[in-house]
Amino acid sequence: MITVTNAHKQYGTFTALDDVSLDIPRGSLTALLGPSGSGKSTLLRSIAGLETLDAGVVTIEGEDVTNVPPQRRGIGFVFQHYAAFKHMTVRDNVAFGLSIRKRPKPVIDKRVDELLEIVGLSGFRDRYPAQLSGGQRQRMALARALAVDPQVLLLDEPFGALDAKVRTDLRTWLRRLHDEVHVTTVLVTHDQEEALDVADRIAVLNQGRIEQVGDPVTLYDRPANDFVMSFLGSVSRLGDQVVRPHDIALDRDRQHALALDAAVPASAGVIGAVVERVVRLGFEVRVDLRAESGERFAAQITRRDANDLRLAAGETVFARVDQPSSIVERMAIAGV
Amino acid sequence: MNVTQQTRVGLRTVALGYLFVLLALPIGVILYRTFEPGLSEFFASISTPAAISALNLSLLIVAIVVPLNVVFGVVTALALVRGRFRGRGLLQAVVDLPFAVSPIVVGVALIMLWGAGGWFGALDRSGFTVIFGLPGMVIATIFVTLPFVVREVEPVLHEIGTDQEQAASTLGATGWQTFWRITLPAIRWGLTYGVVLTVARALGEFGAVIMVSSGFAGVSQTLTLLVHARYIDDHNTYGAYAAATLLMGIALVVLLLMTVLDRKRSNR
Ligand SMILES: Nc1ncnc2c1ncn2[C@@H]1O[C@H](COP(=O)(O)OP(=O)(O)O)[C@@H](O)[C@H]1O
Ligand SMILES: [Mg+2]
Repeated sequence: MITVTNAHKQYGTFTALDDVSLDIPRGSLTALLGPSGSGKSTLLRSIAGLETLDAGVVTIEGEDVTNVPPQRRGIGFVFQHYAAFKHMTVRDNVAFGLSIRKRPKPVIDKRVDELLEIVGLSGFRDRYPAQLSGGQRQRMALARALAVDPQVLLLDEPFGALDAKVRTDLRTWLRRLHDEVHVTTVLVTHDQEEALDVADRIAVLNQGRIEQVGDPVTLYDRPANDFVMSFLGSVSRLGDQVVRPHDIALDRDRQHALALDAAVPASAGVIGAVVERVVRLGFEVRVDLRAESGERFAAQITRRDANDLRLAAGETVFARVDQPSSIVERMAIAGV
Repeated sequence: MNVTQQTRVGLRTVALGYLFVLLALPIGVILYRTFEPGLSEFFASISTPAAISALNLSLLIVAIVVPLNVVFGVVTALALVRGRFRGRGLLQAVVDLPFAVSPIVVGVALIMLWGAGGWFGALDRSGFTVIFGLPGMVIATIFVTLPFVVREVEPVLHEIGTDQEQAASTLGATGWQTFWRITLPAIRWGLTYGVVLTVARALGEFGAVIMVSSGFAGVSQTLTLLVHARYIDDHNTYGAYAAATLLMGIALVVLLLMTVLDRKRSNR
């Protein structure tokens, strides 16, 4: 369990953290999600003790660590650019924390072998970081952080420097690792897909403030405001409403669309639009549209629906909101 | 660039000729003169008591100056790269001062400061000889060699950044442990290179040292001073050649070391 209470951090006149309070339950994998510069790293580094807060309190497992140096916070930290000890072998990198703690050599060796097994680097014991790929380096860094049995594991955009394929692989791998090891984990990312994929809780940050905290489904279906909505997943603007593209239904027949729309409370009505482009993304099809008002928006429909409609550029269709639950609930939360 | 074959050959000839006349020829002449009478003559000349004493003194100065420069150089480089304090710009400029000031000026300044009549003259008058003694020569040598370690270590510190050090601290290492286990190994090539440059410069320093040395043969003559004294005072031209060759020999070893290290560094 980590708690951050009323954290404040200023760089000159710039406010990096503005009265941030956050609870991270024990054993959870929490993502700090937000655009670049929103203060994610600052918050994470404050939890680690690598940054000192101007005001606020940080506790780890009930202990107030606000003024405790990083050495004694019982944390493991993984950096975006690996921070591998370049002059040490993989073995010595992973063993570092234990050798600082003056554990006997056989104990260290056993633990190192165990961890290298877990992260899949058993054959790389005597290599240097320069001889590893980015993904391997980051797994080494993870093993190094886990070697000291930290109470919390803090990861600052750990997959940010890797290419897309390796990134998704490692993401899945991290999730499995977490399910096995159960160490309280905080993951910083600016990638909403990554957060939705691995985290069981997400805290959305924007301009040094927390916009919303919750599980991925809640955040996606019931975003507290437009920022959270547009940051988690894509959005389309339909009339005066902001909706998910896959909540937009398309119809060839205006009367039919109006009939169906009548059953939906608080809808934006039916909007006529011209198809600009049909993009087939495997199972899904994205339809780029231009409304009669000139405003552009996109709808996401299934391949089958697209085939049934026989959509082609230049044709006119009628768009309406099909699943307004997200809007209605969002407005309820916002008190509209 | 469009350079014709002819121009290229011409340029190459000019460059090589220039190097030959200005660098290779003078050294060649000294080597020729030194070994003309035979090896035994050479060894006899560099094993006189005065020559051995000069060699020892030069090496002693190097042995004192290098550790001091290493400590000061690393601390200063760390301060310049990592520190955020007022006067950093000033320190940055001061470090380069020895490059700008002529060694002879350094010598004069040291006499004015540490000499019997200088600001710190009380020390001299109390019996601890600074000027015209070993301390004076050491201080003069430190002055002229001061920038090397700083300037070699600084870019390496920039390059490695602070990530590794922060990682070490999150793994429980104290500042001191981090320095020994992470920072020092990471900067070791830059540091070695700085030391090599310091050694070469310390051995070869003449202008500042001659001002603050009493110059007695067998007592306070460094190798460079020996070359000078043999040539100018003793009119022992051959002895000067031989001593110069010895000096060059040591410098050559240092240079070779440097090249090997450099290759190692660029291979990494
Ligand atoms: N050491 C620093 N000095 C000045 N400004 C900083 C420093 N560290 C971060 N900032 C600023 O604080 C803001 C938040 O930074 P950061 O927490 O790194 O954002 P994120 O990780 O979300 O991209 C950024 O605008 C950044 O420029
Ligand atoms: Mg960041």
